[in-house]
Amino acid sequence: MTACLHLDRVEVCLADQERQFTLEIPTLEINTGEAVGLTGPSGTGKTLLLELLGLLRRPGTCGGFRIASDTHPLDLATVWTGGPMSPADVRADRFGFVPQSGGLLPFLNVFENIALAQRISGRLDEDWQAHLIDRLGLGDVQRLRPGALSIGQRQRVAIARALAHRPAFVIADEPTAALDPGAATTAMGLLIDVAVTGGAGVIISSHDLNLLDQFPMRRVALSLVSDPGAQNAHSRLSISEAAT
Amino acid sequence: MRLVVDLALRDLWRQRIHLICNVAILAGVLVPLMVIFGVKNGVYDALIGQLLNDPATLRIETTGNSRFTQDDVDEVRIWPQTGFATAKTRSVFDFVNVRREGATAKRDAVLVPSGTGDPSLPKGVTIGAADAVLSASLARQLDISAGDTVQIFTQASERPRQLMLPLTVVAVLPDQRLSGRSVLADIAVLDLVEAFYDEYALPDHGISQGRDMAGRVPEFEGMRVFARDLTLLADLQSRLESRFGIQTEARTAEVSGILSLGRNLNVALLLTAGVASLGLSAALIFGFWGEVARKRQTLAALALLGIGPKRLWLFPVVQALVSGAAGLCVSFALFFVAGALAETLFDSALTAQGGLVVLTFGQGLAITAATLIFVTAASFFAARSAAQVDPADVLREGAT
Repeated sequence: MTACLHLDRVEVCLADQERQFTLEIPTLEINTGEAVGLTGPSGTGKTLLLELLGLLRRPGTCGGFRIASDTHPLDLATVWTGGPMSPADVRADRFGFVPQSGGLLPFLNVFENIALAQRISGRLDEDWQAHLIDRLGLGDVQRLRPGALSIGQRQRVAIARALAHRPAFVIADEPTAALDPGAATTAMGLLIDVAVTGGAGVIISSHDLNLLDQFPMRRVALSLVSDPGAQNAHSRLSISEAAT
Repeated sequence: MRLVVDLALRDLWRQRIHLICNVAILAGVLVPLMVIFGVKNGVYDALIGQLLNDPATLRIETTGNSRFTQDDVDEVRIWPQTGFATAKTRSVFDFVNVRREGATAKRDAVLVPSGTGDPSLPKGVTIGAADAVLSASLARQLDISAGDTVQIFTQASERPRQLMLPLTVVAVLPDQRLSGRSVLADIAVLDLVEAFYDEYALPDHGISQGRDMAGRVPEFEGMRVFARDLTLLADLQSRLESRFGIQTEARTAEVSGILSLGRNLNVALLLTAGVASLGLSAALIFGFWGEVARKRQTLAALALLGIGPKRLWLFPVVQALVSGAAGLCVSFALFFVAGALAETLFDSALTAQGGLVVLTFGQGLAITAATLIFVTAASFFAARSAAQVDPADVLREGAT
């Protein structure tokens, strides 16, 4: 299935009593089967953009926010306005997540953590799960709980879980930030390879430009358009550079 | 839903030390309350049982010489407090001789007015104008059993012939029910004896001399009344005395004392349970709530994966219910141990009468239901907190 996650003139705003932060996305498209690298200095809203894409934040103004698909198109703006699917339903069906911390459930073993995404989405596929476990080198540890794994192993489990239910898109937030350079390269390679060959579109935020440079991907970047430290900060997404 | 239940149980099992803490909190409150409740049941029920086993507890006897008509008795019978009422004849004529038909041995006995519905009679026994119920002592001395015919007879000094009445024995009372030699019979029998002493002619009984019964207006010296239940005894006694301007005798003070003891025990138990519930609810509410705060990352991960707030609230509720059920099991087990220990330690006649620490099946069910409802209510804040977990917490954890 081919699909495209499409955003057009979307803004999302975070505000508290002291500060307001606005993130502007003039346009963004992520296609299934491609990898997109998201970069930008700290405080430019990388995590906020990923939250927006993963339906964890409600957009403010919205020119278009949809998944274009021949078979399963979906207007994502409707999930916030009482449409047939809730944000949680769409996440379970269309998205996989690789948090920086792994986000694994400590009371389930590796096999069960990976299977959980399939159980929630209702798309059980033992062969695909076995393939992921094998491809990510988790065969020997699949009966262990996360507490018994190294950080690198946990991230590989998180990658397998993000892909287990064959989502159209995978959102990875600094997935290698806690890993040493060697493990980071391995994990990043596996994430991109397994996601793209599995047909998913993947967006990866990272500070590590050298690491991203090692992999073929389209890049987008966030940058502040207001003064740093301004009370009303404003950040905008832009096309950063061509894929290497 | 099944998935959330499964995950909640898996998490609870992994964090079983917290489960044990919650169970200990519940048992720490429930077991003492259940023991106090059980003791209250055991002691109070035994005391009430002792009273109920003796129908005389419900009885009110008029004292002194009064005059009652049959209409007065009929009026008392329909009062809501009344269980049974009959008239009494003059007590000087209550003594009769009794013998089994065809036998020579006789005994003197007290003739007691009775009738169908008299709580002194064994259950189901009806008594008509030609029937009698004997006390165990009299029946034993005259070798009489139910179904036999007895003759009661009496002699007045001014009358040439004695009055002899054949009565069918419909029952013999158990030993503890009525002491001494007594014959319980319908008031018609006693009225006949009184008419005999008053020198009326009773041709149906072979006594042709005397005054004509047609001119006799039956009047009674007193009444023998039974309250419908213990709680109505004082009311009935008071109503009788004020309605007829008479004095009566009853065990009202003893009954009121025990009923008051029961009420006081209930109030004390309710107060104790109330205070304990307050402490327990605070412990559970903050305990369950704290659990959600501690597991915020786990719950956020579930929300991130697609378990929405409409299902996520169930997670702490399931854990609370399982904790409640486990707490109940442990509490009941400890209650039975404590109960058995109390029965052993305290040398009490109550043990033989049904137990010192008593909890009925219905009370056990009520405690179970109340505890589960209580625990579910206590998990409300935790459920609300779980439903409000922000799945973005997982992404923001450690994010720069």
